[in-house]
Amino acid sequence: MPGSFVAGTCPGAGVIPKVRMDAIIYGCGRLASMLAPYLVQSGYTVTALDSNLSRLKSVAAEPQIKGILIADPMMHDYLQEAHVDIAELFLALSDEELRNVLVSQVAKHIYNVPLVVCRLDNPQLQQLYSGLGLKVVGFSILNLFSEIQQAIRLD
Amino acid sequence: MYVVIVGCSPVGYHLTKVLLTAGHEVTVLEKDPIRCQLLWDELGSVVIQGDGTDERDLKSAGTARADVFVAAADLDETNLVACQIAKHVFQVPHTMSTIKDTKNEPLFEILGIDVVVNATHLMVTALEEGVPGRPLLRLMNPRVPELELVSVSLPADSAIIGKRLDELVLPPHSFISLVIKKDRASLPSNEMILESDDEVVAVTSPGEEHNLYEILTGA
Repeated sequence: MPGSFVAGTCPGAGVIPKVRMDAIIYGCGRLASMLAPYLVQSGYTVTALDSNLSRLKSVAAEPQIKGILIADPMMHDYLQEAHVDIAELFLALSDEELRNVLVSQVAKHIYNVPLVVCRLDNPQLQQLYSGLGLKVVGFSILNLFSEIQQAIRLD
Repeated sequence: MYVVIVGCSPVGYHLTKVLLTAGHEVTVLEKDPIRCQLLWDELGSVVIQGDGTDERDLKSAGTARADVFVAAADLDETNLVACQIAKHVFQVPHTMSTIKDTKNEPLFEILGIDVVVNATHLMVTALEEGVPGRPLLRLMNPRVPELELVSVSLPADSAIIGKRLDELVLPPHSFISLVIKKDRASLPSNEMILESDDEVVAVTSPGEEHNLYEILTGA
């Protein structure tokens, strides 16, 4: 049965655990600053990228979190500096949706990062890129709609 | 042919004029209202104000019946998303894009954009060729990324002047394909002697360009 293991037959038993799990966060805002310490606790080596120094500092505040200040024309070089080629997890969380789409697809298709999460608030883009294999997170207009329905009924 | 162009950048503008002159039907989507107003005076109703990454605006531009879609906006991310919407939502059979960051080219190709024009690469190459001296000229950007076709003019102080072609030790994956002596092209042969001002056309790989240049011009 999926999800249940019998002692000794656990898949991966006897395999030496991977020493390092890298997570890269592109775009530092409130979301990233909440998420980064959580990832560190879960055992990830976290690297945060942003083009704005104060935003970057708000996330890379602790010594375990590495911050890289980026300039857009050399985006690929910064991703390599962040070891995107060995990363397990890539999160594009910046405010700029189109930028998120671009870097997410670079992580997924050029560097073969196994799990790529892309923040998108535009429902049309959400639908398109979920269909194209990105793990899309973001503001959901459907949820908001049902919340408003409920709020109206409560009144 | 019906062509939808996103972004009335200088590229988008001139492409529009060329296509209209050639008798094609064209619609240009431009985000900036002031730019739109100015272009309207010149190009008329082919210019529509709208966002090339917005499905509704693309729909009203008639993208669903477009034969060709060209993304020529300022930002690579705008062009990528515009092309992906055109390709996957509106099933446009042929998508083309300009890009500015050279390193984005492989991604656009993997994602199925049919023609990717690397604007920065084209400009850098053109400018590089204009720098005085004996530059390494890239003759074209072949479809095979591992190949580079280059041309080098041999300076008088090069160590290989007076040597036979078969004495040259070239970098891996590199070979001389043509030698031009006094405006006459000849196929390379082992016995051929290299002279000053000979133009050597060679095939190499992007990583070996510099080594090849050193071997051909180094004193």
